[in-house]
Amino acid sequence: MVSKEEIEHVAKLMRIEIDDHLVHIDRVQKMIAYFDILDKANVESEDLVVNEQTIDSLREDTYIPYEGKLIENLKNYKGTYIRAPKLN
Amino acid sequence: MTLRISAKKYIEEIQNGNLTVEEFIAKTIERIQKIDSNLHAYLEINEHAVEQARLIDKKIKAKEKVGACMGMPISIKDNICVKGTKTTCASKMLEDYISPYDATAVSKLKLEDSIIIGKTNLDEFAMGLTTEFSAFGPSKNPWNTEYVPGGSSGGSAVAVSSFECIASLGSDTGGSVRNPASFCSAVGLKPTYGLISRSGLISYSNSIEQIGPITRTVEDTAFLLNIIAGIDPHDNTTIDNHNENYLNDIDYGVEGKKIGIIKEMTQEGVDKQVSAATNKAISKLEGLGAIFEEISLDMVEYSVAAYYTITATEAGSNLARYDNLRYGYDFDSEGYEFNSYISKARKKFGPEVTRRMILGGFVPSAGHVGKYFLKAMKVKSKLTAEVNEALKKVDMLISPTVPILPFRFGEKIDDPIALFLVDINTVTANLTEKPAISIPFEISGGLPIGIQLLGNSMQDKMLLQAAYALQNTVKLPEVPV
Repeated sequence: MVSKEEIEHVAKLMRIEIDDHLVHIDRVQKMIAYFDILDKANVESEDLVVNEQTIDSLREDTYIPYEGKLIENLKNYKGTYIRAPKLN
Repeated sequence: MTLRISAKKYIEEIQNGNLTVEEFIAKTIERIQKIDSNLHAYLEINEHAVEQARLIDKKIKAKEKVGACMGMPISIKDNICVKGTKTTCASKMLEDYISPYDATAVSKLKLEDSIIIGKTNLDEFAMGLTTEFSAFGPSKNPWNTEYVPGGSSGGSAVAVSSFECIASLGSDTGGSVRNPASFCSAVGLKPTYGLISRSGLISYSNSIEQIGPITRTVEDTAFLLNIIAGIDPHDNTTIDNHNENYLNDIDYGVEGKKIGIIKEMTQEGVDKQVSAATNKAISKLEGLGAIFEEISLDMVEYSVAAYYTITATEAGSNLARYDNLRYGYDFDSEGYEFNSYISKARKKFGPEVTRRMILGGFVPSAGHVGKYFLKAMKVKSKLTAEVNEALKKVDMLISPTVPILPFRFGEKIDDPIALFLVDINTVTANLTEKPAISIPFEISGGLPIGIQLLGNSMQDKMLLQAAYALQNTVKLPEVPV
């Protein structure tokens, strides 16, 4: 079984801060324990099938101007500037 | 005038002049106002719907060209963008987010003169199968409001089955269209991966999710698919369907078609009533000339674990954009420490999204990737090979859509593994990129049961033909609201 400490470490890396900590971690632990069933699937020797797309199947790299004014969807802007909080 | 008509009948009525778009839209809104405070299918209603209806009526009167939808009211799951309206994903994180553009599927519907009547409820970011994880409260099953409507496209299925719109668009990552369709007695299609553009669908798990229609009849699903399917330069995973007409020959029938009964989805863990309904559906199709044989798919047992591992991983990456810089909250402009700023924003995610984010960080992380993510991808590959092999022997596969009947609110919410297993019959279509459809087949003790047909990639048309045949073997009662 994966330890709670390991899960908490990942939560921290994902920048997730949680209040009812024990409930969440406990439940994630149960979910991960269920995934142990994958060990029984006997697929180690299977090949991974991935979808490949060649570059000529991509769309043309052309610039399509956007007509709308996205900035107006923000609460905190002035002219063409966005006001963001100071971070350190 | 009645709202209880199919899309096909609606178009006939409008064309014959028996009905105006305005009448129908006004009556639909009246019904929503009357019953939706209880059912909670909708998160937002289009306030301009009646004006839009009048414009279409005017075009009809002036004998101008009118789109195929003729003003029919269609609802859209609230994780699909409709320009100028809120798209919340039923999350506090996007409570104020206004879509700056239409999803491709939505713009195609608008081009055909449909009226987007409102945005429907879902589990937060489509993660769940009951709508209990919506930040704005659950939708209720119109067949019995003490029961869950299924999910995550629960609001869409409730709106369709209780005549609050003619059709709806949902999204299906592991059964999110088919599961609520089954629980609410509606038709729900998860098309072949790539058949419908995902542009404008807010990403959860890109490699397996699809937009899919929810309607009251199989013909209506075919009608919608005709409009929304096809290649889109904004979604590089779309495939060319050569303008297939899914309505043509919909009554082709199933005579001589070979159908495989999936052993792993029809035996262990299936409710008695669901099992009986499945057997009845099989004998009905047999009566129409279909030939059945049992098919075993060994990997189904591991499919749910693989599905949650892969989707959590993709969700962990997709939801990284809700960092309060690009999307999310607007905090006061005081100073913050960088990490705490982001984690403060992420606290706005509800419990299930939070858990899946942690899960999504864990399963592909160094030291665990081999045990979880890579194995899950290999299960996906092997399951695909098994299904491909099966579909060389038979034309399609059958199972109940969900192995159990709709359940009560709160019944499974505290047991993650029990919730996982509700998806066991639906995730295979997503993991293998195949089309699958849920057809309403029985009302057992007042609760709906749906039957699922799964076909080969790009065989959506054959699937609809078989679904149509099955639909016509039963006459189901209407929803009691």
